[in-house]
Amino acid sequence: MKIKDIMIRDVTSVLAICKLVDLLGILSRQKITGLPVVSNNQEVIGFISLHDIIRATLPNYLGIINSNSILSEFIQLSKSLKEYAQRPVEEFMRKNIITIDEDDNEVLAADLLIRNKIQRLPVLRDGKLVGIVTLTDICRELMENDKNKE
Amino acid sequence: MIGTVTLNPAIDVILEVDNLKIDHYNKVLNAHTTSGGKGINVSKAVRGCGRETIAMGFLGGGRGRMIEEELRGLGVTTNFWHIEEKTRSNTIISDKKTGEHTLLSETGPKITEYDLEMLKSIFYRVMSQCSVVTLSGSLPRGIPVNIYGDLISIAKERGVKTILNASGEQFIKGLEEGPFLAKPDLRESNKVFGITINKEEDAIKAAKQIIQRGAKIGVVSLQNKKDLIATQDEIWFAESTYHKIVNLIGAGDALVAGFAVTLTEEEKNIEEAIRFSMSCALASALREEEEFSSREEVEKCFQCVNVKKL
Repeated sequence: MKIKDIMIRDVTSVLAICKLVDLLGILSRQKITGLPVVSNNQEVIGFISLHDIIRATLPNYLGIINSNSILSEFIQLSKSLKEYAQRPVEEFMRKNIITIDEDDNEVLAADLLIRNKIQRLPVLRDGKLVGIVTLTDICRELMENDKNKE
Repeated sequence: MIGTVTLNPAIDVILEVDNLKIDHYNKVLNAHTTSGGKGINVSKAVRGCGRETIAMGFLGGGRGRMIEEELRGLGVTTNFWHIEEKTRSNTIISDKKTGEHTLLSETGPKITEYDLEMLKSIFYRVMSQCSVVTLSGSLPRGIPVNIYGDLISIAKERGVKTILNASGEQFIKGLEEGPFLAKPDLRESNKVFGITINKEEDAIKAAKQIIQRGAKIGVVSLQNKKDLIATQDEIWFAESTYHKIVNLIGAGDALVAGFAVTLTEEEKNIEEAIRFSMSCALASALREEEEFSSREEVEKCFQCVNVKKL
């Protein structure tokens, strides 16, 4: 099975100069948690997710998430977000990201997603973004394939 | 890749009735909901021809997400800008008895300057993956009439061929930027450049005007059944010889899709391009609901299309 047969055919992405406040608007309206960052030629140059933003604005958040100090830290998070609202995505995005080619198979995609603990894998054709694949897409496809065999 | 732009997409609600009576109780026999808007219809027909396509434009709210889901399911790549207001809906009343289709079209949501700027940014990026782009349909509120001209100019800058299919002022303004192919949308009024299209001579006159105003190919439909196609040196006439048409809605968009597909296939000459495009329109008109789903369906229609040089 090729990735192009199971990927989500959507190339919603942002430019590196996109402001954080605008990015949050896109994520909220599209009901998604992360996006590829692209150049003007649709080449993927990074990935930005809500986690990347929270990690940058509140670096120790993973350590405090289960502690009693979460409320006071939340106020700090709110202050930082206001302060960073006009800053560009490129300051927060992950670079050297993992991608997959549309002609690769589902085994490689699942391996990359699980091994690297990531939710979404940008799919490329000739180095340009043509879709996104998630573990859910792969599992759904495998389940449907098994159903067809039965 | 073939790009399509739909600035004012819609959810089409198709209601089938038997002998519609105005100002009376009418029972709906069948209700069907699908994504609509001229550019979206072009994308569906391009997929029907087995080609890759990417749909752009504005979507909003739950209706917008419905459209996106449906298109992705059909294998259309999506890259819409999501707006605050909801995507509109169109109601199409299909009368089984008379065979008439009545379209009730909503105006559409309000687009802000920021939304427009974001769409242009998406369009610029996507053009790096396209060889042809179609710009079709009406404009929602807040969009300047020169929008198609602006998009044509961006596409040309990136070496992409453009097809313009719109009506009124936005068609005239778009022509000023020299699209590769232009076809006026005559659904609301059968008038373009002040010429009322009633006879073959009117359509020829209008098609020639399109060329004079900057397009390489001008296409003008005549009474939904025939098309006049003008190039710099030639005039072509095309008509369907098959008359058991089921549904004309979307046939014009399938014609545009056919031209878009042939523009990406360099080996095709103008006669073959016209035959293929008219066959796409006919294949679409023979379907009650969804768009045709294979190139074979289009090729079967070749024998029912008459193309001649005038």
